[in-house]
Amino acid sequence: MLKLQQTATDHTSESSGREPTFSWRHVIKDCLYFVAIAILLGGLLNYSLLSNAFNSTLIPRIQQNQLVNLRSKAKQLYGISVIELLSAKQLYDEKTAIFLDARTAQEYEIGHISGAISVPDREFLMGEIDPGKILPNKETVLITYCDGGECELALDVAKGLSESGYSNVFVLVEGYPGWEAAGYPVDK
Amino acid sequence: MKFLNNDYTHLTLRLFIGVIFVYSAVPHILNSMGLASSIYNYRLFPSSIIGMSAAFIPWITLMSGLALILGVKVRAASLIISASLVIFISLAVISMIRGLDIDCGCFIGIVRKANWLAVSEDLLLLLGSLFTFFFDRTRISLVLLIKKLVFHNKNYKGALS
Repeated sequence: MLKLQQTATDHTSESSGREPTFSWRHVIKDCLYFVAIAILLGGLLNYSLLSNAFNSTLIPRIQQNQLVNLRSKAKQLYGISVIELLSAKQLYDEKTAIFLDARTAQEYEIGHISGAISVPDREFLMGEIDPGKILPNKETVLITYCDGGECELALDVAKGLSESGYSNVFVLVEGYPGWEAAGYPVDK
Repeated sequence: MKFLNNDYTHLTLRLFIGVIFVYSAVPHILNSMGLASSIYNYRLFPSSIIGMSAAFIPWITLMSGLALILGVKVRAASLIISASLVIFISLAVISMIRGLDIDCGCFIGIVRKANWLAVSEDLLLLLGSLFTFFFDRTRISLVLLIKKLVFHNKNYKGALS
């Protein structure tokens, strides 16, 4: 009976909402409980993700997913045609396409597809770059690219060019990293 | 200072931060690959760190957010949220310095670039979570309300006899 009364008193004082006492030890202990539960739940529910991460197959999977997403976004949201890496290289070899780098001027300076023209997305969209001056022929095959992955700068530039009347605009979704990784010519 | 020592200020902040973190965590739990992709975009981490972060961080933020909403272990939850925000802010600043134009990965389905706006919003949230940490005065919460209903309004004599 005494025990029951004690329990009731404990609950009453807790529920009265008095100022909680502070102790770093308790706080750290609680944090560790949170982390332990998160590791348990996250580990159980993401077993395949974790095994991919430790087998080094996660990054290739992410890159693949990002390319698929970007391709569908280019077609559905932007209405822009996507060009495959091999086809882009073929046009590059035939010198029938102009490559446009939509990244910043600094990134372009660090490295770009050999012979590409820098058309930074921000400057282009703000009207600071006049495409008519650098690309007088509206029938030219134009291939825009940026950083691959989820980079949408090339899509913005490609859309802007299409709206300006250029009829052969394509996006290289693999971007500069994909081009460089394939061992194709770059300027650094 | 009266404003700082107000139960309702504390409650509002707790609920606001808690809801934001729960809202951010749930889609990440449902799409951990999407979060892994966002973390990969920072181009800072190896595969193992990306995988572990995508698997565990949403659960940590979900539990912390729920704890703030319910008013349990508020200091621990606030500390975890503050630490997470410090990491997010650092990542966003590093990305801006490196000139990366990427989504911060804070919310799935909402475009929120890692830029100064995101950093200032996160700084405000950090101030809020530090407030709930240092000025913890959880007098109004769902858990306390339930406890009050259960232990105050029940007649213990009936249980004891």
